Amino acid sequence: MSGIAHSFKLKIFGLQEYSLMLVEIFKGFPKFLRTWSDAVNEMYWIGARAFLPVLLGGIFVGIILALETGHQLDHFGAKTLVGRTVSLGMIRELGPVITGLLLAARTGAKNASELGAMQISEQIDALRAFGTSPVIKLVIPRTVAAVVMFLPLTAIADLSGILSGMIVTKLSLNVDTSFFWHSALSALLMKDIFVGFIKPFFFAFFISTISCYYGFSTRGGTAALGKTTINAVVVSSLIVLVLDFIFTKVVWELL
Amino acid sequence: MIELSNVSLEFGDRPILKDISLSINEGEIAIILGPSGAGKSSILKIILGLWQPDSGKVTVDGINIAGMSEVQILPIRSKMGIVFQANALFDSLNVEDNVAYFLREHSKLNSKDIRNKVSEILSFVNLKGTEKIYIDQLSGGMKKRVAIARALSFDPEIILYDEPTTGLDPINSKSILDLIKRVSNRGATSVVVTHILNDAISIGDTLSVINEGAVVQTGTVHDLLNSKNPFIKDFFYEVYQDAALLKKTISE
Repeated sequence: MSGIAHSFKLKIFGLQEYSLMLVEIFKGFPKFLRTWSDAVNEMYWIGARAFLPVLLGGIFVGIILALETGHQLDHFGAKTLVGRTVSLGMIRELGPVITGLLLAARTGAKNASELGAMQISEQIDALRAFGTSPVIKLVIPRTVAAVVMFLPLTAIADLSGILSGMIVTKLSLNVDTSFFWHSALSALLMKDIFVGFIKPFFFAFFISTISCYYGFSTRGGTAALGKTTINAVVVSSLIVLVLDFIFTKVVWELL
Repeated sequence: MIELSNVSLEFGDRPILKDISLSINEGEIAIILGPSGAGKSSILKIILGLWQPDSGKVTVDGINIAGMSEVQILPIRSKMGIVFQANALFDSLNVEDNVAYFLREHSKLNSKDIRNKVSEILSFVNLKGTEKIYIDQLSGGMKKRVAIARALSFDPEIILYDEPTTGLDPINSKSILDLIKRVSNRGATSVVVTHILNDAISIGDTLSVINEGAVVQTGTVHDLLNSKNPFIKDFFYEVYQDAALLKKTISE
């Protein structure tokens, strides 16, 4: 029982530390321009280098979505509505979520392992010793880079999913592309696009800050680094799903 | 110059430092000596304000830094340079960028003056010409010199060394100890944490022996060699053995 209580205490303490880091991020944000070059470098790693996995993720999710829904709709003679399910599914849900999950794995692992290695080798202490805030130097550029790059990456996932869905619908279900597009575009409302594109900002912010927090919290040796990297990826991925639920249930109903 | 009064620190239920009191005078080389896990490095981190003690006072230049926030402590920290045990060099930067780090972040020097200053410091630590080399291409001894150069870059009044010769061969160890003495001769106060007795004896003005988070005894080498404390006698056993061996070798 005391073990459970201790573990719970550590979780609460971790949450407190994470909250304090968030406060430091907001306080330090005005100094962001000093680390602009670091942010640009991170944009390359988070954004440009993630182009291919996100593109492929979008393509295959689009294909699966079109095939699965297409065959079901075909039973009711409504296969021309595939465009609607693919466009709504990709833009509102699967585009942001697949991008979020891929980047939780990629960016989360990168941030946690890099900062964790810096923590173990005392480079974080060295930054503090030389009067530099590790949050301003390391977390803010990564977070800004993630927030900036997640939106275009989500757009790529959405677009590639819809296009691949269109192609597979034409080839597999013999639905004309003009029907597909008409169905896809007529179903989309402004609030679908708004919800679909507001999600990446929150996903990016939490994936980046959570993984950086796990990096900072690394204590011990290489085994600890492995554990914190796993935790960072798992928690970031779960946060993507939880936030997606919140947006789908709460924000969508509020709009 | 540095004074720790009744400083205690615990991690969870584990006591790290127990009511430690130490006094380090300006310009001296003060050695904090003790076995691994005795709490020596924790003392350095508390002096630098990286860790906050649970109780007690930590006075640097007459200012108590215990309980200060990260922002409040910055002016005090800028008087201190540190050489970490594992060097803690920024491995994404080359030697020049590592040594210039503090100057670029906090000084008003232009880039030409910074380059000149870096070149001067690298000459002082016998690393001239290594400016563009990346950290992972350096040997252990060279990394330690770069770490010392980085600590010296802003001419701090106090330099803290955490196990400066650990993991180095005897020749590199000797050159690092010589370097610490040369840095001290420039007027800096040096605090050296080590578990290597010979290093402590060869450079220390005063030695504080720490065991299990508490100060066992403070004094000069002479004081400690004549100590009746059983832990000190055990710790200094190596010296008596070396002296006996030397005597025997000479007589033979």
